[in-house]
Amino acid sequence: MNALTPNRPDVPAPVGLLAELTHRCPLRCPYCSNPLELDRRSGELDTATWQRVLTEASGLGILHVHLSGGEPTARNDIVEITKTCADLGLYSNLITSGVGGALGKLQALYDVGLDHVQLSVQGVDAQNAEKIGGLKNAQPQKFAFAAKVVELGLPLTLNSVIHRGNIHEVEGFIDLAVTMGAKRLEVAHTQYYGWAYVNRAALMPDKAQVDASIRIVEAARERLKGQLVIDLVVPDYYAKYPKACAGGWGRKLMNVTPQGKVLPCHAAETIPGLEFWHVTDHSLGEIWRDSPAFTAYRGTDWMQEPCRSCDRREKDWGGCRCQALALAGDAAATDPACSLSPLHAKVRALAVEEAAETPPDYVYRTIGSNVRSPFQEDVNP
Amino acid sequence: MNAVFPTPDATESQRLLSPDELEAALRDIGARRYHILHPFHRLLHDGKLSKDQVRAWALNRYYYQAMIPVKDAAVLARMTDASLRRIWRQRIVDHDGDHPGDGGIERWLKLAEGVGFDRDYVLSTRGILSATKFSVEAYVHFVAEKSLLEAIASSLTEMFSPTIISERVAGMLKNYDFITKDTLAYFDKRLTQAPRDADFALDYVKTHATTPELQRQAMAALTFKCNVLWTQLDALYFAYVAPGLIPPDAWTPGTGLVAEAPGAPAATGVRKMAAEDKPRLPRGVRLRHDETRGKYVLLAPERTFDLDDNAVAVLKLVDGARSVAAIADELGRTYAADPRAIEADILVMLDGLAEKRVLER
Repeated sequence: MNALTPNRPDVPAPVGLLAELTHRCPLRCPYCSNPLELDRRSGELDTATWQRVLTEASGLGILHVHLSGGEPTARNDIVEITKTCADLGLYSNLITSGVGGALGKLQALYDVGLDHVQLSVQGVDAQNAEKIGGLKNAQPQKFAFAAKVVELGLPLTLNSVIHRGNIHEVEGFIDLAVTMGAKRLEVAHTQYYGWAYVNRAALMPDKAQVDASIRIVEAARERLKGQLVIDLVVPDYYAKYPKACAGGWGRKLMNVTPQGKVLPCHAAETIPGLEFWHVTDHSLGEIWRDSPAFTAYRGTDWMQEPCRSCDRREKDWGGCRCQALALAGDAAATDPACSLSPLHAKVRALAVEEAAETPPDYVYRTIGSNVRSPFQEDVNP
Repeated sequence: MNAVFPTPDATESQRLLSPDELEAALRDIGARRYHILHPFHRLLHDGKLSKDQVRAWALNRYYYQAMIPVKDAAVLARMTDASLRRIWRQRIVDHDGDHPGDGGIERWLKLAEGVGFDRDYVLSTRGILSATKFSVEAYVHFVAEKSLLEAIASSLTEMFSPTIISERVAGMLKNYDFITKDTLAYFDKRLTQAPRDADFALDYVKTHATTPELQRQAMAALTFKCNVLWTQLDALYFAYVAPGLIPPDAWTPGTGLVAEAPGAPAATGVRKMAAEDKPRLPRGVRLRHDETRGKYVLLAPERTFDLDDNAVAVLKLVDGARSVAAIADELGRTYAADPRAIEADILVMLDGLAEKRVLER
């Protein structure tokens, strides 16, 4: 099966599949990238369907599969699904919290050919970390999990989502990664979608803190060259140019939700009016090429000014559509994270203002909540 | 005094030695007195020292390194001949470098940092043994006060240093897991610089020590210099090996270091790849043919490396059994090219992948 069809030679083959196997998770992080309305267990795809999806993904040219969630090891068939990846030659990446049943399944995952583990750490200080993750005794479980990953000889990446509740611990995250024997560390400033958008005022750091954290990472990169690779994701609201969301809409990544909906990015469902196709109705290839959600913002034809005539339009692809909708009220607008957006100054001022105030309590992620985004109207014109 | 440090070969120096006899006499001094023979050095090279004892050595030796250009400037100040100065000034350039971050002192600082010291602490010279300072300063005074011949002759310990350096580098790399080849970069340069310097100095001494008295002075100067090095190791041994009496104010283990993460593994990944290393792709890194795009890719944690044909040819041979040299030989045969040129190229490529932690050895 070929990813390119004769009538769509402009559509590149996807390289990555984010498989959100479940939304169930023992942690309740207030910046979770899952949607506010979480899928329930009863609606989750079964094992055979996931295996078919993976087979189609492999045929489509996908190389990396990110087994994610929620907590992917909450699924009883996680080992079978991982084995299918290995059998197909797909690179399997387990994105896990390391708590709950994760440790118990690790050896079996290793045995069937798991390639890589990305472990989330909410903080360095256990008390702080457990407050952020909303789960007591999570930290020792994570440390034990990390030790086992390294002992098995699996490559370990630590993922730290940075916000005002842990930005003082960036140096500590680096030390922790070295101590644990991780090869990579992601210092990822919070991206404000989903739950993070709801909790933005509780999470937004100030500019000086952000700058200091970047300096710390840059110094550590130099010091730890060859020992630890550090990936840095800077916060959008303080950025000059937006990031190419998911490498460009419909260019690299597909995201399958626990119920089998296929999204161009994990937050795409926040955009009203987009029609998402389902893996039980269409093949992954059809969805990639022809589903309305994927074609809506693929390429540059949909762009408005200042994106349309911008030299960077094929670099950052207009930034993030979900953020454009959330902040500008129009999913086809320039991402206000871009300094060229007319709304950029306003967005930045909002960040500065929120970071200066006493942080409100977290709204923890829960299944079946009625949380609505309180900021939806903030800067809409 | 003479009972402890007798003047060398007093009877021999009664008559005028031929230049070759003089050289032999000078080399004999080294054979008997050079600090390679000191018990502390034996412990160092044989891997018998603790990490803290190696640190004490690196810290104290920094003072010697840092004062060498001061010493050479004093020698230079006594030279009235421009052609001599042009040659001698190269020593200062070698040690000080042409710009910040360059030169022998800097490389020694890297060594000190490599064993865990805080750079500023080393630069402050606070923790250095008084005996080290006395000894090093005696050397500076010696060259300023004695004749130019004696000043130049005192540098002749460099004749013996390539032996000690190769022994030291091999021994330290083999015996201490916290020492990397990068840490020992200082010695790489000295392996070529020292013989060049020594050749000139030896010629000068052989040419200018034209009377028995001048020859005796030259031999005494070299003996003095051997003692400068020897007493530094005496002091280290006394303070940090046995009886282990660390003087007040001198460095004590646990201080002056960059904070270490508890249980942090030694920085083994930072050493550059060498021809004899056997690279391998660790678990979680795979070379795969991508049918959809019709090319090979290297799959790694959360990234994919696009590879050119050369990289693919190399990575197909990376199996943890072949050395870099063997891979280069094989590619040299396949492509009828100079394997050593290929080797230089692949070392760069493999280092790049190792730095990204997707290749091990």
